[in-house]
Amino acid sequence: MWKVTNYCIGVFLLCLMLRNESFAQCCSSGNPFISDAEQPALQSRVLTSSLAYRYSHSSKFYSDDSRFNDLPFEQISTSNYIDLQVGYGITNWLTVLVDLGYFFNKTLTTSGQDPYRGHGLGDLELYVKFNAYNNPESRFSVSPSIGVKFPIGIFDQEVDYVQLPISVQPSSGSFKYTGNVFISKGIGKKIALAAFLSYEYSQLINSENFYYKYGDQWIGALYFNYQIWKGLSMDIQFRNEYRAKSTRENNEIVDASGYDVLFFTPQLTYAFKHNWYLSAFSDIPVYKYYNGIQMSFGYAVSLRLTKKIDFFTIQARKQANKL
Amino acid sequence: MKRLFVVLFLSSVILGACSKKKDNNPSADIKILSLTASVNPVKAWDTTVITVEALGDSLQYGWVANHGSFKGGGKSIKYAAGQCCIGLNTITCRIFNSTGEVTDTIMIRVTSYYDPKEK
Repeated sequence: MWKVTNYCIGVFLLCLMLRNESFAQCCSSGNPFISDAEQPALQSRVLTSSLAYRYSHSSKFYSDDSRFNDLPFEQISTSNYIDLQVGYGITNWLTVLVDLGYFFNKTLTTSGQDPYRGHGLGDLELYVKFNAYNNPESRFSVSPSIGVKFPIGIFDQEVDYVQLPISVQPSSGSFKYTGNVFISKGIGKKIALAAFLSYEYSQLINSENFYYKYGDQWIGALYFNYQIWKGLSMDIQFRNEYRAKSTRENNEIVDASGYDVLFFTPQLTYAFKHNWYLSAFSDIPVYKYYNGIQMSFGYAVSLRLTKKIDFFTIQARKQANKL
Repeated sequence: MKRLFVVLFLSSVILGACSKKKDNNPSADIKILSLTASVNPVKAWDTTVITVEALGDSLQYGWVANHGSFKGGGKSIKYAAGQCCIGLNTITCRIFNSTGEVTDTIMIRVTSYYDPKEK
């Protein structure tokens, strides 16, 4: 087991060093933050695999915290996105997660014009999550994690040799490094409270004819989980996403970049037999602040199907059956 | 299970290491005569038409901008950029045929949507 652990950490560090420069442009953020309830680190030899689908829709321009209606056109931005996530508890204190996104479409429609439509792989995310503290009796756990996002997807998609705008390119074009911490506390048998804090640093994109750096991102979320009925649970989440302003050529600050959005995210999860879980949730912004004039986030609805496999329990059962 | 994760990690390394560099094969048979914009500077979300004139056989035209977006294609193309992209932007025109390609750039200054007198 230690060999595998060391190997994975080694490959993870190797990934950090492989920073290939790709042709890149501004204003895209790559994979969206899939905002269903975060989970603590997994126990040893537990595997979770999930597939999430997300539809998002935006159509309103904002300036500061107000709608901006002066533009002489209307725009609608939509996307259909899936996200495959696999996590495995290598030891009781170390979990590895791989996350890969794919956009079926990322479409920007302007009134009176043909729409722009991009599609393809987004970013690949690798995380290691640590079980820093876990007390099963008091149901209290602290799980910090660190990760890297690799811009493996397309960032220079073209139609008839004409490059599509950045807002419909599936990848962010930038390596991103994240540090997160998830804290969970159970209260009684049916209630749990949790908090999640995340910081993301984007690497400067400095290619032949492009220079751009996304602003740093902070995400803070509070979760309230209640078990409504046997296998049915509900999550209520309030999440604040803040992104600082970007920087472009000559280290100019991009005034119309960066935002602060407070989301309300209700979620229902049903646990089926054999450790299958189905979640439905939506992101609803309740407060938005955008620097300059920017298209603001509208809403998103998502579904996630998760399968959990506990290899330790399976093996224990097999051995018990043999006896 | 161990093998699965080793395969996943190795795949990610390979994917991450893949670069998407384009082959640049310069052509002596293509000559760019001019690359011009109808309006420059241009206000955010307004449109300028960029036109390239070139000599060569069976030419095809490719367009790339570091900020902003295009409409149309061919030797004449519409360019516009929003408030996110104000500043001096680089538009690259790539002209190619079976003999190779040549490129040229034009700088377009995009100004704020706000009238400076108002804000």
